[in-house]
Amino acid sequence: MNIKKLLIVFGLFVVTSNSFAHHVLGRPSYSLGEDSNTPPSMQIETQIGAYYLTYMAFPAFPKPGESGRVNLYASRIDNGAPFNGEVVFKVRDDSWFSSKEEVLGTRKIDDGVYRQGFVFKEAGDYIITAEFESDGEPYTIDFPLRIGEPAPVGPIGLTILVLAVLLVVVNITQRKRLGRLKATQHHSEKTTG
Amino acid sequence: MLDVLLQQINKLVYQTSEGMVHPGLTAEWVLAVLSIMMLLTIWMMRKTTATSQLNYSVVTSISNLPFVGKNIQQLITHPTVITGLRIFTAVVFLMVIAAGLFGTQVTERNLATTLTWTIWWSGVVISVFFVGSAWCAICPWDAIATWLVRRRLWKRGSELSSLNIKVPKVIRNIWPALMMFVVLTWLELGYGITTSPYATALLALLIVVLATVSLAIYERKAFCRYFCAVGRTLGAYGGIAPVALRPIDNAVCASCKTLECYNGTADIEPCPTHLVMGRIKQNTYCTSCGSCTQSCPYQNISWQLRNIGDEITFSSRPHWDEAWFILGLLSLTIFHGFTMMPYWEGWMSQLAYTIGDSGQLLVSFSIGMLVAMLVPILFYSAMVSVMHRLINKQEEWKRVFSAMALSILPLAFAYHIAHNLTHLVRESQGFLSVVMNPFGTNTLPLSMQEIHMRHMNPVINDNIVFALQATLILFGFWLALKILRRRVLQYTGFTINQGRIIFIPMLVFILSISILNLWLLMQPMIMRM
Repeated sequence: MNIKKLLIVFGLFVVTSNSFAHHVLGRPSYSLGEDSNTPPSMQIETQIGAYYLTYMAFPAFPKPGESGRVNLYASRIDNGAPFNGEVVFKVRDDSWFSSKEEVLGTRKIDDGVYRQGFVFKEAGDYIITAEFESDGEPYTIDFPLRIGEPAPVGPIGLTILVLAVLLVVVNITQRKRLGRLKATQHHSEKTTG
Repeated sequence: MLDVLLQQINKLVYQTSEGMVHPGLTAEWVLAVLSIMMLLTIWMMRKTTATSQLNYSVVTSISNLPFVGKNIQQLITHPTVITGLRIFTAVVFLMVIAAGLFGTQVTERNLATTLTWTIWWSGVVISVFFVGSAWCAICPWDAIATWLVRRRLWKRGSELSSLNIKVPKVIRNIWPALMMFVVLTWLELGYGITTSPYATALLALLIVVLATVSLAIYERKAFCRYFCAVGRTLGAYGGIAPVALRPIDNAVCASCKTLECYNGTADIEPCPTHLVMGRIKQNTYCTSCGSCTQSCPYQNISWQLRNIGDEITFSSRPHWDEAWFILGLLSLTIFHGFTMMPYWEGWMSQLAYTIGDSGQLLVSFSIGMLVAMLVPILFYSAMVSVMHRLINKQEEWKRVFSAMALSILPLAFAYHIAHNLTHLVRESQGFLSVVMNPFGTNTLPLSMQEIHMRHMNPVINDNIVFALQATLILFGFWLALKILRRRVLQYTGFTINQGRIIFIPMLVFILSISILNLWLLMQPMIMRM
């Protein structure tokens, strides 16, 4: 069995097992295929309207300049029939104050899967959007994708900054308060004495 | 006959077709627990003698233990011991933050998620059973905040270090802690912070910031007393624990005029939560920091051994906010159980389909959480109302509500531990490998084979876990009945014969919750990692 077929079987298995360990609707999880050649994948299961969706990203932790792929499986909640139409994949930068968006491609179903390749030049947080139309209803679903390592300096830097400002402000305020208190005491001692 | 009963009980178990779940209590255990619960109920209703004990009795002080007592007392009151432990937990805590921010994001391979959620979060509640609220004494949030603000490792900080403002009256209660507990539960079970090392590290940093801000602005340790959900949970459960910091001789405290435990000394911090040891009746706010043991000029404060549950049976006096905290604990622990059942996802999926929710289904989850919290609260309120009518005295409904809350605390405690036991025993395999590689460098997610291996080889044999869980549920039920009986008689002043009918509403509540907890433990539980 080649990798492609393995992935399809694995993907279908994921779609049909709702109570599988690690998989909670809408929450990213990481898994390793049983074939040692299969890279770890990140997957998210969710639902929207009449469809269950499973989104898988290969590799699980894509790096800048490295080619990757997302697979989308969409099947009806009522009868499990796969969606058969076109899915438009878009990507947008998820960093603050950014509105960059571009179309990655439009895909048709291939063995029950919608596949979209990608290569990102820069590390960062991105949102992949899959859009399709079924029974006259538009469906849009967003999936987060992290390229490269998350920035650890941000949270640590922010924490240190907040704490440093707080401690300095408290210290200055207390010094002023104590200074005023001493001055008041000195003044009252002078007037009574 | 027995076979038919066991078959009927087994029908109550959700049968999963596939998926990785922890097994629930077997029908034999459930039947045994139900039988003993029935016997205990009959005993409670028929027993005619009431206890005349007015206050709980200390069995002994640790310092009085033969041979080793004095040494243990010296060891645990020595500042270097507690400071050493605080340094250790703080280092581990910083390691958790670093692993979460810099390490692999594969949940089961990162120290941040495995240590925080599987070991600590599960274990800290179990620790109350043995050491009360001792965790608070070595809590890294408070330790780091104290070192940053006071700029001392253990001695009393300078006057300049904090604004020492009084906490506003409106939040001088444990409603903020209850809110924080609700938010933590939402983040844990709804947002799924337990599966994200990065988010776990961010939460840890956020709590350090909150503890530091609180310490820098408010007097003493307002974060510990009013805001910390973990501390207040341990404090509430601490009333059941067999150990607590208490005076060795109450007469010494009664004649004390200087109250060093409350005021501190030149070197030693005052009680962080405004407690006077001579008047302490309940453990709710004690952080076990040991300042009182160090500052007492008569060396009259020590760890005391006492009977399990005596404090909440005889001496605790819960206020309105504390009663709500207990009720919150009960409903949120039950909610934890529900969300880890295979049913839950189907319910959420159905709800999301109905209301048009998508993505992470957070709206559906929030509605589910609200309903799950409201049901026990409304049920309890209804039973209190019936009881209030039966008492037929000019008493405030709020007082009955608060007084009876203690009888449901053991139910929350017992189920909380029984539930956490499954996480700890069945999900902590492989923790050693994470300790050896806390950042999960060059590791891959668990393969199906590894998941199966972990699933098949729990740390403790299933039968031992079942026996412990069954015993815990029975213990909770027994203690709840004991407290109910004691509280009703004490509160109403009725005799046993007069008071028997008054027991019934709360007895219905206690029985219902115990059976629900038992049913939850019967269900297979979805593996978290």
